[in-house]
Amino acid sequence: MTRLICPFCGPRHLREFEFHKTVAAEGGSAFARVYERVDSAELSIEHWQHVGGCRGWLLVRRNPSTGAVTDCQLVGGGEPA
Amino acid sequence: MSIATPRYSAWSLLRARFAGDGYWRPLWTGRRLQSSYDVVVVGAGGHGLATAYHLARDHGLRVAVLEKRLVGYGNVGRNTTIVRSNYLLPENHYFYEDSLRRWETLSRDLNYNVMYSPRGVVDLALSDDDLAGMARRGNAMRLAGIDCELLDLGALERFCPELEPRRERRFPIVGALVQRRGGTVRHDAVAWGYARAASALGVDIIEDCEVTGVHSTGSVATGVETSRGRVRAERILFATAGHTGLIGRMLGVPLPVETHLLQAMVSEPIKPFLHTVVVYVFPGHGETYICQSDRGGLVMGGHLDGFPSYTREGRWDRLEEVVEGAVELFPSVGGVRILRQWAGTNDMTMDGSPIIDRLRYDNVYVNAGWCYGGFKAIPASGAACATLVATGTAPDLIRGFRLSRFATGHLLDERGGGPFPVRL
Repeated sequence: MTRLICPFCGPRHLREFEFHKTVAAEGGSAFARVYERVDSAELSIEHWQHVGGCRGWLLVRRNPSTGAVTDCQLVGGGEPA
Repeated sequence: MSIATPRYSAWSLLRARFAGDGYWRPLWTGRRLQSSYDVVVVGAGGHGLATAYHLARDHGLRVAVLEKRLVGYGNVGRNTTIVRSNYLLPENHYFYEDSLRRWETLSRDLNYNVMYSPRGVVDLALSDDDLAGMARRGNAMRLAGIDCELLDLGALERFCPELEPRRERRFPIVGALVQRRGGTVRHDAVAWGYARAASALGVDIIEDCEVTGVHSTGSVATGVETSRGRVRAERILFATAGHTGLIGRMLGVPLPVETHLLQAMVSEPIKPFLHTVVVYVFPGHGETYICQSDRGGLVMGGHLDGFPSYTREGRWDRLEEVVEGAVELFPSVGGVRILRQWAGTNDMTMDGSPIIDRLRYDNVYVNAGWCYGGFKAIPASGAACATLVATGTAPDLIRGFRLSRFATGHLLDERGGGPFPVRL
């Protein structure tokens, strides 16, 4: 995994992006959202930010065992203007 | 089919010299998996083996260590071999100091040379703020009776002349915190030494045996399901740091753990020039810690890769950053080539401190969340965790590492960074 494809900026080097955290399950407690993490060897759903570019918040789906990125969208599912 | 492990001594080495190949035996024996044990330890890394050793030695229990792959395949063989106890928070520095004291005598205790080398660990300060933070940490340690010294430039120059602390640089050095008893330990020897000593006490070390589930009746676990069949156990310990998130998933318990990669690298061997461990955190971005192995290679590491991963590969730009730091510190190594690079999977907890506690069942325990500090913790963790598993009560030394601290707010956030493993 050496790059992410930002919906605004296109393919950019990984060092422009910052991982924030894995996305918490719906309906969990505040404690769970702050402290607990969803760990999976096959599919990780994560919030990232393109800090070195458009600064957009991204929803990324990856396989943490291979590094393959299956999806990279804006959080909330909006389209780039 | 136990093979007697010979006791090593100067005399035994001399005998081996004349006895030829016939003298040397396997360090631990390939035993058959039995159907039932007092304790099943999952994971034959440093913590699992050390705990098994203490369970057998101090508590007289029948123990099996089940390992998915090979003894020492995980993080005990992937770290940068540094041991130290220079922590700010009492729960951490008392625990790691207990560990450092055990490192000092471990070769004798295990009758196996783990090559503890108290060459000192130097944290470099690049600003007055750095120095103030180090003074605070150093004072906390000295109040606890732990050795450490704050060095000005002159003292740093005397301790580590190869650093040339007064040389003009992009980020000038203003001082340092040194713990002289800190240093390095041969990491593979730790796994081998504990495996040998545990095996000699009757612990069954079973490689290529993956645990896939836990059997239970109500709130009591009765055994584990493995790739080699079912094993009954009175108590179960998961010592699988690097994969504890997946263990939590298997048991249906969400944990405050995220799995990140930390990479390390070693250069081709060069003549001895660096006699201590130097930790260099440079403003804004990177970190490099560097020491020279007995074989002459420069062993280096830095920050986490920064996102969850099980690939054990490591990102290239992090390697570049670590090497940049090393060359900035020691311009003379600029022409030295990197020989190998690797990565380990780290249990990163949401306050940066470990978890040693019961997990879900009355008789299931977890030894996890070692972040990037697991190697140096092995001897203390093994002894304390064995007491917890054998008696059901956590010794004072690890009471702060309980899992419930996240819910009750008693976090051990050494870094003061909040519930995120990655520095933002």
